[in-house]
Amino acid sequence: MRRLWTVLAALATLSLTNCGYNAIQSQDEQIKSSWSEVVNQYQRRADLVPNLVNSVKGFAQQEKDVLLGVTNARAKVGSIQATPEVLNDPAAFQKFQAAQGELTNALSRLLVVTENYPQLKSDALFHDLMAQLEGTENRITVARNRYIKTVQDYNVTVRSFPTNLTAMAFGYKEKPNFTVENEKAISTAPKVDFNPAPSAPAK
Amino acid sequence: MSAARASILALLLCWACAAFADVAVPPLSGRVVDQTGTLSSSDVASLTQTIRNFELRKGSQVAVLIVPTTAPETIEQYSLRVAEAWKIGRKKIDDGALLVVAKDDRKLRIEVGYGLEGALTDVTSKRIIDEIITPRFRSGDFAGGISAGVDRIIRVVDGEKLPAPEPRQRQSSGVLSHIDPFNPFVIFGVFVVGTVLRTTLGRLMGSIATGGIVGVLAWLIAGSLAASIIAAMIGFVITMFAETPTSSTGRGGGRGWSGGGSYSGGGSSSSSSSDSGSSGGGGGSFGGGGASGSW
Repeated sequence: MRRLWTVLAALATLSLTNCGYNAIQSQDEQIKSSWSEVVNQYQRRADLVPNLVNSVKGFAQQEKDVLLGVTNARAKVGSIQATPEVLNDPAAFQKFQAAQGELTNALSRLLVVTENYPQLKSDALFHDLMAQLEGTENRITVARNRYIKTVQDYNVTVRSFPTNLTAMAFGYKEKPNFTVENEKAISTAPKVDFNPAPSAPAK
Repeated sequence: MSAARASILALLLCWACAAFADVAVPPLSGRVVDQTGTLSSSDVASLTQTIRNFELRKGSQVAVLIVPTTAPETIEQYSLRVAEAWKIGRKKIDDGALLVVAKDDRKLRIEVGYGLEGALTDVTSKRIIDEIITPRFRSGDFAGGISAGVDRIIRVVDGEKLPAPEPRQRQSSGVLSHIDPFNPFVIFGVFVVGTVLRTTLGRLMGSIATGGIVGVLAWLIAGSLAASIIAAMIGFVITMFAETPTSSTGRGGGRGWSGGGSYSGGGSSSSSSSDSGSSGGGGGSFGGGGASGSW
């Protein structure tokens, strides 16, 4: 009996060195830094919005509610604190994602509207802003992708044996990941309608 | 039998899946990688020359890739994947820029490393694409568009203050500096070269020649005269007093193999001075900066 305990104790000590605690720590830290990059790029987009709205306003004053939609979405994004603590709170994470998704939608509506203003499209400032917006959206995609990958690594560590015991003991839970917010919209085929919609831009 | 058939079937299935997978990232065989045969070899040579001169002067790395298509990925996804694989730009400075052209998609993109995002901003990249490259592409002048675009990228990056490039000596010995002098292959290579020289030139002359070669190589690697003299003397002594390998036939088989080893030591010195300074980028990282366009 005594020998059994000794063996068990030795095994326990051995497993401590390989329990994955350090792996969890480093992956957790990696998630934090990639999350910061995500927030950083979203912030960059949010900073672009006022300039974009202003430049559109000069040419397309009548698109008031589209512009208002962008401004409101931008304000909502700005009101959400995106600290790394968000990652431990799935509800807050969902809220952050929803707000950013709303801004994405509002911006894409704005871009659709701008198609009707050739003068605006040939404006140099607007052109530059569009290039910045495109670049920023691409950076957001990259940052989100990298975040998704680091979270994947972390979640695998936290869920697989034996590291899951360590994670349980120290209270490390799975981190939330990005999902497609308009899953329903993209899984239905787009409807092509050749009949001109008379009410589209005239507001 | 049926197990073998099943495994072959499974393998074939895997290949079929791989065939539908994304376009593979081509190896970084030079500063200009053209998979479509659009550029003539003189175009490639002059572009490479321009980029190499710039790299020696400024340290930043620029690369050009022309592929037929990036489908099913978008050009943004593909070029980021290429940039992550090639790692152009110096490590920690991240001053790499990549121009990707998807010829059949009629799309192109300038991918900018983190360190150049301040100079080669999204707006600047977009301007380079829209005002310099695509007008030429539209008229079918691919070589002119690419070289004008690269010229402009170089001029923009030139305006940015970046850490100076490392001295030329290390630059040119990019591959040599990776060779560990105590690597057994190197020592074995010395043995083989020494043996060959000794049998052809005689014991004393061969040893002196080996010592000289080792000394020059060591000078290229370490860059210090004292180290190279010591290495030369070691090479001389090894060759002078080493046993003649005629005693065993097993060595003869080994000689051909380690001939490859010594080739990787000596042969690379000639190739590294010509082109491979850029192949395998310096370790720069990218974050999706840059701009895309189409023509």
